[in-house]
Amino acid sequence: MNKQSITQYYRNHRKAIVTATSGLLYGGGWSLGYLTSFEMASAAILVLATVVGGYDIAKTAYHEVTNRTLGIKTLVTLAAIGAIVIGEYWEAAAVVFLFSLGSYLEGRTMRKTRTALQELLEMTPDTATVRRDGTLQKVSARDVEEGEVVVVKPGGKIPVDGTVVDGESAVNQAPVTGESAPVHKADSDEVYAGTVNQEGALEIRTTGAGSDTTLERIIRRVEEAQEAQSPTESLIDRFAKYYTPAVIALAIGAYAVTQNAILSLTLLVIGCPGALVIGPPVSIVSAIGNAARSGVLMKGGEHLERAGKIDLVAFDKTGTLTKGETTVSGIEGFGVAAADVLSLAATAEKKSEHHLADAIVDMARERQTAATDGGATVAQADDTDVGRRSVPDPDDFDVVAGKGVIAHADGQEVVVGNRALLDDRDVDVPDRVADYVREREGRGETVVHVVRDGDIIGAIAMRDELREAAPGVVAALQDAGIETVMLTGDNERTAAAVAEEVGIDEYRAELLPEDKQSVIEGYQADGHVVAMVGDGINDAPSLATADVGIAMGAAGTDTAIETADMALMADDLERIPYAVKLSKATRWNVLENVGLAVLTVTVLLTGVLTSYVTLASGMLVHEASVLLVILNGMRLLRY
Amino acid sequence: MSDTTQFRVLDFDCPTCASTVERALSNVDGVQHVEVHYATGRVEIEYDDSVADPDAFAETIENQGYTPQPA
Repeated sequence: MNKQSITQYYRNHRKAIVTATSGLLYGGGWSLGYLTSFEMASAAILVLATVVGGYDIAKTAYHEVTNRTLGIKTLVTLAAIGAIVIGEYWEAAAVVFLFSLGSYLEGRTMRKTRTALQELLEMTPDTATVRRDGTLQKVSARDVEEGEVVVVKPGGKIPVDGTVVDGESAVNQAPVTGESAPVHKADSDEVYAGTVNQEGALEIRTTGAGSDTTLERIIRRVEEAQEAQSPTESLIDRFAKYYTPAVIALAIGAYAVTQNAILSLTLLVIGCPGALVIGPPVSIVSAIGNAARSGVLMKGGEHLERAGKIDLVAFDKTGTLTKGETTVSGIEGFGVAAADVLSLAATAEKKSEHHLADAIVDMARERQTAATDGGATVAQADDTDVGRRSVPDPDDFDVVAGKGVIAHADGQEVVVGNRALLDDRDVDVPDRVADYVREREGRGETVVHVVRDGDIIGAIAMRDELREAAPGVVAALQDAGIETVMLTGDNERTAAAVAEEVGIDEYRAELLPEDKQSVIEGYQADGHVVAMVGDGINDAPSLATADVGIAMGAAGTDTAIETADMALMADDLERIPYAVKLSKATRWNVLENVGLAVLTVTVLLTGVLTSYVTLASGMLVHEASVLLVILNGMRLLRY
Repeated sequence: MSDTTQFRVLDFDCPTCASTVERALSNVDGVQHVEVHYATGRVEIEYDDSVADPDAFAETIENQGYTPQPA
């Protein structure tokens, strides 16, 4: 080792070296005094131990004093000087050594908490292979321009956010979404920086590089969340404002009564609200960091603490409990061919943006394309140009919110909608139509009626498959003692069938978007702490109304991340029980830490005032309590 | 012109230490706003780049007994 690397080593491990030296001197000085009668030598070594261990502490104390803050390092310095002045060399060395050891361990453990997120950042590779001027060039990942094409080999990490322009592969998106299973990516799919290309080569057109990537944005959000004060933290900060002067007053009072300087200094040192101030932030930072690595963004300690009290989870049905991919499952014509019912309905619905309308129009295109190809090939089915031409435009078209559409085409009036719309328009519903509808709805399907010039000519049934995970998620929440509710715009019968299939406690059907908000307000008025799970865009108002709004599949949508209190990066329902349980565990963890801190301080203060606790033993317990709350909080990193 | 720089300090060992560093940094010439977060170890400094010397920031943090890393 040359001189330079020794200095470097010393600088990197200064705290450890100082603590160890001070500890050795302390041990040596103490044994010398205990075993022999060289008292002067023993005292000198103990003073040396105090100076070695206390130099850095005193230096910071000096800065604390010049910046007019009263910190624990100032108090420890005062205590050590005081102890030496009155000849208690052993106490002085012990208090300095114990404090130094404690803060060394605290710094080390906190470093683990602080670097938990950096592992995520290190997922992004430093260099990227870019197609420039017709050749492949290796450049710094930060210098890739928007629109440039990046080539990623199988097994390589993706350096930028972008869309696939060539190639096909499975990509492990765990760093961004927390999903462990790789996701299939092909032409025009979005990929994120920091994810791993597992199978084939991919060419990606860059949409964001450097600090403008989804992963970087996530990490910035997470840090903001970790830094935001939780209600417990602000409460403790307010408490500390009065507590610290109170301890100082107590110390002065004790000195006035007993004339015992060491007693007063001991009060000051152990009266520091260390564990109380450190505990809650460590719990919250650990929990938010853990959640981020599992693809759950929590907005802050406040939201996390509130989420710990959730006792009712409301799910939006479409796209949350179900896959949100509605497909036509049955077409019935009443005196008219099914194909005509479909094409008439498709024309009426063509300009609507409702997900049921999309299903009908898609089905019509598929049927017609298949028909023009003689049904021999479906390769053309994807050709949207052909598809678009095949469904004619309506002459005019009106949406009746929550009910359906009214359109005109070829001189005919076409109404596509639910029973409520038919009742509004006094359309007679024959028994066989009602029977068909009832039978389909009983299977959890949604049915729309197709009415031409006032007569029902058919009905179209549509189905949105449940997510496989939905029943398990609902059961897991119920096991945790949480009520589950499904909110949907669907009719009563469909809702009942789906609710039974999922095993959900309760459902509310036929809700307009604004009704969902009032349902949530109703639960809150009953004293529930309500979480609402939705897609974050359509459900934004009810997500905002709920105590905790949870948005799903937020990776691509910044608005969802902005509005929700918690955002699941992946479309992964199974993260919900995890997120709710983590919040509850965090709330307990914070309470444990506060309890432990208050107990320690109470015991120590009583101990000091009744002379059972000395400066050194007080410091030992004080430092131990601080370490204990940090370690307890860090358990949440591995939850 | 106003500019912003960040550091990461991984060895803060108590919340008061973070506030002491915050105060010390805000006394550096040209510094307009400082945020020091104990929990994440993140230090954010907003300064007037015609007055402040960015090298002084790291030095100030080191003087307080902590190790700044570029973020």
